[in-house]
Amino acid sequence: MFAVPWLLMAGTLLSPQQAADEVQTFTLENDMKVLVMEDHSIPNAVTYFFWKVGSRNEVPGITGLSHFFEHMMFNGAKKYGPKEFDRVMEAAGGANNAYTSKDVTVYTDFFPSSALETIFDLEADRIGHLAFDEEMIESERGVVHSEYTTGMENSNFRFLDTYLTAVAMIAHPYRWPVIGWESDILSWKKSDLESYFATYYAPNNGVLVVVGDVELEEVKRLAKAYLEPIPAHEPPREVHTVEPEQKGEKRLVVHKQVTSPNVMMAYHVPETGSEDYYPLVILDSILSEGNSSRLYQALVDEGQQATMVFTYLPRAFDPTLFYFYAVCSHGVSAEELEQGMLQVVDRIVEEGVTERELQKAKNMRLMELYRNMETLKDKANSLGTYELFFGDYRKLFEAPAAFEQVTAADVQRVAAKYLTANNRTVGYLLPPEEEGE
Amino acid sequence: MMTRQSNVSTRAAGAAWVLAGAVCLAWSVTAEAGEFKLPDYEKFTLDNGLTVYLMEQHEVPMIYVSVLTPGGAIHDGTLSGLAFLTAEGLLFGTRNYTKAQIEEEMDFLGATLEARAGLETAGIKASFAVKDQDQVFPILKEVITAPTFDAQEFEKRKKRLLVELAQAKESPKQVIRNYYYRFLFGSHPYGNPVQGTPQGVESVQVQDLEAFYAAAYQPAGSAIAVVGDFDTETMRQVVTDLLGDWKASADPIKTPDLTRGIPRHRKSRVLLVDKDDALETTFIIGARGIARNNPDYIPLQVVNTILGGRFTSWLNSELRIKRGLTYGAYSGFVTNRVAGAFLVSSFTRTKTTYEAIDLALEVLDRLHTQGIDAETLESAKNYIKGQYPPRYETPGQLAGLLTSMFFYGYDESFINGFQETVDGMTVEKANAIIKKYFPKKGWQFVLIGKASEIGSRAGKYGKVIRKTITDEGY
Repeated sequence: MFAVPWLLMAGTLLSPQQAADEVQTFTLENDMKVLVMEDHSIPNAVTYFFWKVGSRNEVPGITGLSHFFEHMMFNGAKKYGPKEFDRVMEAAGGANNAYTSKDVTVYTDFFPSSALETIFDLEADRIGHLAFDEEMIESERGVVHSEYTTGMENSNFRFLDTYLTAVAMIAHPYRWPVIGWESDILSWKKSDLESYFATYYAPNNGVLVVVGDVELEEVKRLAKAYLEPIPAHEPPREVHTVEPEQKGEKRLVVHKQVTSPNVMMAYHVPETGSEDYYPLVILDSILSEGNSSRLYQALVDEGQQATMVFTYLPRAFDPTLFYFYAVCSHGVSAEELEQGMLQVVDRIVEEGVTERELQKAKNMRLMELYRNMETLKDKANSLGTYELFFGDYRKLFEAPAAFEQVTAADVQRVAAKYLTANNRTVGYLLPPEEEGE
Repeated sequence: MMTRQSNVSTRAAGAAWVLAGAVCLAWSVTAEAGEFKLPDYEKFTLDNGLTVYLMEQHEVPMIYVSVLTPGGAIHDGTLSGLAFLTAEGLLFGTRNYTKAQIEEEMDFLGATLEARAGLETAGIKASFAVKDQDQVFPILKEVITAPTFDAQEFEKRKKRLLVELAQAKESPKQVIRNYYYRFLFGSHPYGNPVQGTPQGVESVQVQDLEAFYAAAYQPAGSAIAVVGDFDTETMRQVVTDLLGDWKASADPIKTPDLTRGIPRHRKSRVLLVDKDDALETTFIIGARGIARNNPDYIPLQVVNTILGGRFTSWLNSELRIKRGLTYGAYSGFVTNRVAGAFLVSSFTRTKTTYEAIDLALEVLDRLHTQGIDAETLESAKNYIKGQYPPRYETPGQLAGLLTSMFFYGYDESFINGFQETVDGMTVEKANAIIKKYFPKKGWQFVLIGKASEIGSRAGKYGKVIRKTITDEGY
């Protein structure tokens, strides 16, 4: 196996194995796994609590509940009531955030390392004893409704994606947006939250990553004292719905006040970590990463048909969509831009990619891995992401070698396999006056 | 992916890329008990006047470069967008490399290279692996010293920028600060939109870029910071060999007296920008702020933390946490060399527009009538100290800090004395700061929203000036 030098620590290049050994792990009696990476470069630390719950665990009627729940995790528990979580954390010098995706919910704390015990106390309180205050639910509902509105107001991508993904997917819960449908946002009940908490917020359904100016033994002590007493629950029901194979091209048009058309395409592709995953990441990179990429060169630079173009391959537990997005230059129609995008795709399917493009994409992946390990928060997010999406944080350190094995033929093969008309959904976002044309 | 909150500190710095160092204080620290210290660096000047900063950081095998010149948008004059296009134009090709060659080579190495103008400065940033430095440095040298401003590449970019300027107005968030700065500063250069206006960009010709480059990009008046995994003595030679023969070819750009011509707004005014398909109202309430070199810069950040600089800030508490009117409410000072702006910003659904704005005004008023108590101050001090180290955690952040120190005229004593300054804050001092610096009246409002629904009540705050979002410029 090709050995890629990894992190430079104390002036020595570490092998992937040695770099992985910098991460220490232990599992609590309630089956919560903890990853610890000591890093004393600044007197700060971060905790990332990853929970295996996202909008894929929802059903119609409670779409968006995972994300709303994420907000409610800050609104009061047993020891620390409403508004106390943030008040206590900030007074100790800490800050926090959280994010929800289709697959996971992640709670992130950033703090001076002196506040480590306070963080464990706060987190254990809400993980063990979250409470739901009716008044806080209503106020938070308004917050999330505003978040929904501001996304629709300010992001054409969000707007078109919402409609397109619901067309591209017919069965799997990836079909609705993480924030949920507006009518569901306005209708959740306290009982929905309570049942969600009981089902998903079990220590055996989470992974904790601690990175920074901490000692392993101290983290162990605090995890045992604060988190271990929280009992494990019965594991949540698996998401068993499999998206049926798409049997023909799908198309849609949506309207919004835009100055030029936006075009989005989505192809069904397999889940993260599958056999074709690494070639697809390389294909994604060759298509749109950097100004020398295929799509940028053809559509933005030489063709001047688009003002911007990108592709997006989300990390996903289940089979997902590979997205293409471009915005028309003035005077260019959505049809023309779509044709331009398809020509780039077809050329890769027919002729493949060059060895230099392949190597460029691999070099970019390696540098991205370095950049994703620069800060405490990047390290924690990378480790937890690999632990959840690849089943093992060590895969992070093995990724350069995995990319190294991808061949030009692999890239052409996955392009030919997935980037087909029958597997495609095409969406146009057009200004209202073009309606009926 | 949805997040709980937009990062408050990012939003504070987000408006102007090159100003990042100016609007947030920061340091990098050694982990020794409570001692905050910028890592050692070396500063020297080449014979041609270029200021050089070198700082070793060995955690990852990477090198980060930040170059700063005075080529910001305050110099645009009637050619709005000139500074922005000139900075981007550095990458349109050089004496020995075409634009395509630069992009292909940097992409192949997984390196980054960008050139951007801000309001007062312009900069080039690069990052690359140590092992690739022999390929990157020659390109970087030419980008800095020998850009050729290829006419065809310029025309392509200009055409695209014109479309982008129209597209930006589809998102109120992207453009509201442009409206606000123009409304607050009037025709003063601090009101210039960095990316320009369609009329200005239309008028810019490639020769204008050449002339602006010759005047604004000169070794004297510029700085380069190199931070990363290298030996200082070796890097000193590398930088000297690389940029020692950079020569100015024109008279240096003159910065006008920016202390003059800033409008004083004694009366409140409202700029109402109609976006007839708006789902929400995006708003800013603001007034004149402070300059970057204000001696109370740090105490002001402490007080602003309480008002609108963190999640439990008064503004976010009232508008978001208690009432659920918005996803976020924020306040901050945007500081330039000789003057700045204070602003409160938020957004809310159309029908709650006035409920949200009135509440924000109440909170602003409370700052003066109620003042700050000891417990809240203590919490804010802990917060601002606790959140500081990560702001200058990476070599890229440190490189940006060093060139910012050069332009805004401060040094590591500012960084290293930060904790002491924060610790020295008392309730009396905090309340004196409020009295001295936080505006009480003469608010300048910008509202972007559906005028047919919100327009009739805007007059209660002051004289209303109306625009439509599709109107040219800001």
